[in-house]
Parts: sequence; C-alpha cells; structure tokens
Amino acid sequence: MFFYYLDLAWRSIKKTPFLSLLMVLAISIGIGITITTLNIYKMASINPAGERSSTLFAVQLLSQDVDTWQRINEQITYQDATNLLKSEVPVRQTAMFRTGLAVQTEDENFSPILEGVRVVEGDFFSMFAVPFLHGGTWSKQVDQEGGYKVVISEELNNKALGGGNNIGKTLMLNRKPYQVVGITKTWQPSPKYYDVNNGAFNDSEQIFVPFSLAPIEEFESWGNNNSWRHEDIRNYNDRLNSEMHWLQYWAELSSPAMQQEYQEWLGRYIEQQKALGRFKRPDAKGEISDVATWLTTNNVVPEDNKVLVGLSVLFLIVCLVNMLGLLLAKFLKRAPEVGVRRAIGASRMQIFSQHLVEVGLIGFCGGVFGLLWAWGALSLLASKFDLTESLSQLDQSMWFIAPVIAVSAAIIAGIYPAWRICSTNPSVYLKSQ
Amino acid sequence: MLSMKNISKVFKTDLVETHALRDFNLEVQEGEFVAVTGPSGSGKTTFLNIAGLLEGFTHGDFFLDGVNISNLSDNKSAAIRNEKIGFIFQGFNLIADLNLAENVEVPLRYRGFNAKERKVRVERALEQVGLAARMKHLPTQLSGGQQQRVAIARALAGEPRFLLADEPTGNLDSLMARQVMELLEDINKAGTTIIMVTHDAELARRAQRNIQIVDGQVCDFTMYQGEHGSVAQAASAPGKTAEIISVASAVAS
Repeated sequence: MFFYYLDLAWRSIKKTPFLSLLMVLAISIGIGITITTLNIYKMASINPAGERSSTLFAVQLLSQDVDTWQRINEQITYQDATNLLKSEVPVRQTAMFRTGLAVQTEDENFSPILEGVRVVEGDFFSMFAVPFLHGGTWSKQVDQEGGYKVVISEELNNKALGGGNNIGKTLMLNRKPYQVVGITKTWQPSPKYYDVNNGAFNDSEQIFVPFSLAPIEEFESWGNNNSWRHEDIRNYNDRLNSEMHWLQYWAELSSPAMQQEYQEWLGRYIEQQKALGRFKRPDAKGEISDVATWLTTNNVVPEDNKVLVGLSVLFLIVCLVNMLGLLLAKFLKRAPEVGVRRAIGASRMQIFSQHLVEVGLIGFCGGVFGLLWAWGALSLLASKFDLTESLSQLDQSMWFIAPVIAVSAAIIAGIYPAWRICSTNPSVYLKSQ
Repeated sequence: MLSMKNISKVFKTDLVETHALRDFNLEVQEGEFVAVTGPSGSGKTTFLNIAGLLEGFTHGDFFLDGVNISNLSDNKSAAIRNEKIGFIFQGFNLIADLNLAENVEVPLRYRGFNAKERKVRVERALEQVGLAARMKHLPTQLSGGQQQRVAIARALAGEPRFLLADEPTGNLDSLMARQVMELLEDINKAGTTIIMVTHDAELARRAQRNIQIVDGQVCDFTMYQGEHGSVAQAASAPGKTAEIISVASAVAS
C-alpha cells in the first residue's frame, strides 16, 4: 500500500502545486537554517582523535603562586616540558609550540614565503596519526641531540619542491638547511585539538621541526604566552628558564593503570619541584585530560553555537505550525473523497497512513530543498563572513540527517490534520458530494 | 442476511434530541431486492448508513451475515464494508482524479488483492457494465448514466454479498435511470442482495419488496407477486398495505 499512497500523494501534490510549493518552501527554509547551524555545530564539536581520544592526554600543571590567576593553564613552561619529557611512563609524549619560519628552496624562481611551523617531538606524528606520503619522522637521536630535519606537508612539497618524493632534499628555513625526512598527506584535524589556544579551527601547520632545535635556533612563539608574574626576560635563555606558560604538552597513556601511574608520577614531580622552590601553592597539582574532556573544558564549541541550534529549531517549529495550517486546509477540502474511500472499505488507519505518506513526501521534498538552502548559506558564510573551510563544508551525514529531520518534522506536523481527516464521518459527505 | 431489531438512532445536540430511527425492525433475506421509500427526513438515509456500517446506532441489535455489528472496531467495520457491501450513491461519488479503472480498483486495493487479481476484477466489472473500452477515461468524460455504471462496477468488483443503493437514479434522466435499474435487476438475479433507497415509486415497484419508513420506523411493507410485481396488484390488496403504497406513491410523485 505504501507505493499506492505514494502515488496518491504525488497526484495530490500535482493537483495543488501552489499550496504544495508553499508547504515545501516553509519546511525547506526551516530545515535549511537548522541544517546550517547544526552543520557548524557538528563540525565544531567533532572529536577528530577518533579511537585515540581516550589514550591521548593533554597535560597541565597548576604551578603558579596563589596570588595570581587561579585556573590551571592550558599550557606549561619550557622547564616543565623538558622535565616531563624525561618521564618513562607514557608510551609516547611530545611538547610542542607554534612558530613561523621563512621558507626558501634551491630553486631561484621560488619566492621565499613565511609559513607557520610546529615544533614537536618525533613522537608527534604517531601520537596524532599523521599520515605520511613519503618517509617518516626523524630519529630519537635528533630529539635528544638536535638535528636539522624537517617534515613537510604534501601541499608545501608540491609548492616548494615541485612534488614527488623529495626525501633527502634540502629546504631552507630561516636560511638554514633542513633535510626533508617526511612528507605528510593532507592532514587537517578539525578542531585542531592538539593546540586549541591558537585558533582551534585554523589550518594545521605544513612544516614540522624538532623540539630539540628550539634552544639552538631560538624559535619564536607564535602562540599565546601567559606569565603569572613579572620576569625580566631579556633573551631566549631567560624565556626558557622563566615561569611563562607557552608550550602544549601531550602524553599517550594506553591504559587506566598507565594513566594512574602517570598521575602519581606527576605528583612526585610536583613534590620535587616544591623542594626546589617552585609550585609554592598548597593545591599545586598535575592534571591530564583526554581529548573529549580537553575539547569540552576549553569550550572549543562555543555555547553560542548551541543557542543558535536551539533558535533554528524554534524557527523550524514556526515553519511547521504554518505547514500544519496549510495541511489542515488541504486535507479537509478532500473530505468528500475520503468519505467515498471510507465507504468502500478504507479503515481510518489506512486513510491516516495515506495522508501521512503525503506529508512525508512533502517533508522529503522540503528536506532536499533545505539541503540546498544550507549549502548556499554555508557558502555565503564562507565567502562573506570568513567562516573557516572546516566549518563551512556540508558534512556528509547531513545528506541523511536533513531528509530524516524534514520527514519526521513534517509527519509530526501532519499528525493532527491526518487524524482530523480520518476521523470525519463519511456519511456526511457521501450525500452532499 | 440482514437483521435489525429495535434499532434506534438518536442525534443529540446541547438543546435537541432527534430520533432518526426508533424501534426499527427489519429482516432482509439473501437474494432479495428491497426498495426503501418514505418521505424526506423519515430516516431512510440513516437506515442505509447504519446498514452500510457508516454510522453506529444508539440501541438495538444488528446482525449482518450472522455477524453482530454492535461494538465492531473501525478496522473490522471497514473490512466488512470492503468485502460484503457495495455502495451506489445518487451523486455517483467517483474520484475525479482517477480514471475508470483506477476508480473501480480502489476497494480492491484496500482488500489487499495483488495487481494481477485487481486487473482481472476491474476488467470483468467494467465489462459487466459495458464500459470496458473506456477504462482510461476520467469520470468527467462520461455522461451521468455512464458514471453511475462505473460506480456500480466499483461496487461489484469486490463481489459483495449485498448492494446498498441510495437513490441510484436520482441524478439521471428516465432513459438512463431505466438502464441503471435494469443493470441492478440483472445483478440481483445473479444472486446479490440489493437494498435501494428511492423516492421513485415506479422504481420501487420493480423491487421484490417495498419498505416504507415513516418517522424512523418501518411503517409497513409490501411483498409483490412474481418477479416484477405491479402497483395494481399491490394496491388492489385490501387493508393498510394498500393505503401505505398509495401514500408512498403520492409522496414520491
């Protein structure tokens, strides 16, 4: 019977094209706005770490004195970072920060460009599952002793080195030669969870250099730097020895037992630092947060987004109320035909189903048009309001979600009109038709 | 086949109670052709609606083909309407958007017949009323008489046990009315029980039995002699029956 109802629904829509178009428009605008906000919310709240979410932990230390800011900072100091790197508890770990370097090649035609660079430990790539096109990360020895090695993205490889397997070739960074050891495939986790302080939805860096080079090359910090006390920082060495929080730190802890062990290790580390005159506050502590918790505590998805989704749903409801009125008018006009169908054997449930299928079809059309509205709205936001690409892409799941929401919402709106028409007394209309 | 005992139907509003039927008693045997007459507002249509399970009743007992109709669920009522009852209306009540074949097919859809079975039955029913060649035509492309024949085909397609006809010739000219009536008589001869509400005394005389409803009650009935009894035979009979027939004729005229 479903296909029979579908056929009747299509005939009915064709019979009243203007009214049907009004209903489709009403629901499609509601769906378009809802899907637009839902898409932004979804893209913003994706946990890009996937199954590694529960084994990757951001490490924080509550180290400042009591008479300054009270919250635990998202970043840590260089001296803490180098100390934490000595722990043997994590499977892998990395300190990191963002800097910027001038890129040159041996090709004289290539104009130098200034690129954002991430300074990391060699474990960074396996921890965050960065896919490689060619080569891989640098050796442990480079992490310990320093070495002019670089991992670049496929895009930069194409732009600066002409593409292909350029492992072993040289890239000039701030006029220093770095040997290319790895070329990554396009990698754009969104949100950029490993560093939410520097634009959680910004593009990921295209150049990665060893953390061990930081004190040698004195890489500037291109991120937030938080100091809780005045320090006379005159040179890079002062910065490294300061209490300035400017580094991100991540540890891979593969089991609850390992997490517990690392917490205990952090506790011992804090006691050790207290003995050395640091971490003076009584509640000094170390905290670890898995990726999901990290994204939540850092408000990566602003509350405004949730409010926006709520408002768009309210707008959808207004559209549905309009649709309900139109449906009621359309269905009740059809009461004589329904009377005939009831007389010749249709049950109330069959009439109800027939009309719900029609409503569902209108909802489906509204969903399809709504997707087009959403696609247009996201493109407009991207072009006119500088919405980042990661947020303005229509998520594939929306191709499924939009029609489902549209059909469900339309059916909810159609229940009352369908119930009204199936409840009418057929005998009233049989005589008068 | 149809048995109504002490049926009453009361329509209530805040201020008024209207007794459409009161202590209504009727027995219809299988294969009968019964004409129901009576003045306007006497309860003929209410009786037909109750007999066709389109309306409930307030009191009494109603058995249709041995099934107690009291308190039937909507699904069961619909199934009985679909399988056992065929409706023919004064206004034809064809669905304007559907062609003839699709109109005739509607009750078969609700019955759950497959496409092949539906096709066979639709063709057979339309052949029976002489419209097999116009299956793809829309109702608006037909004359009134043809539309009524399509309505009859729709009623027959499901092979019902009885037909309920509410003034089936009311919107037709005399020639077409006669053709439709002849068709109904043929259907009755084939074994289908027919109950026909009519204002037309001439048509009523062609039925085997004539029931007069006055003020919501069966006032009396006349059983005609032979296959097609005449008014003269009935009116010549002494007593109340003859009077009623005369009243009925007067009202109808």
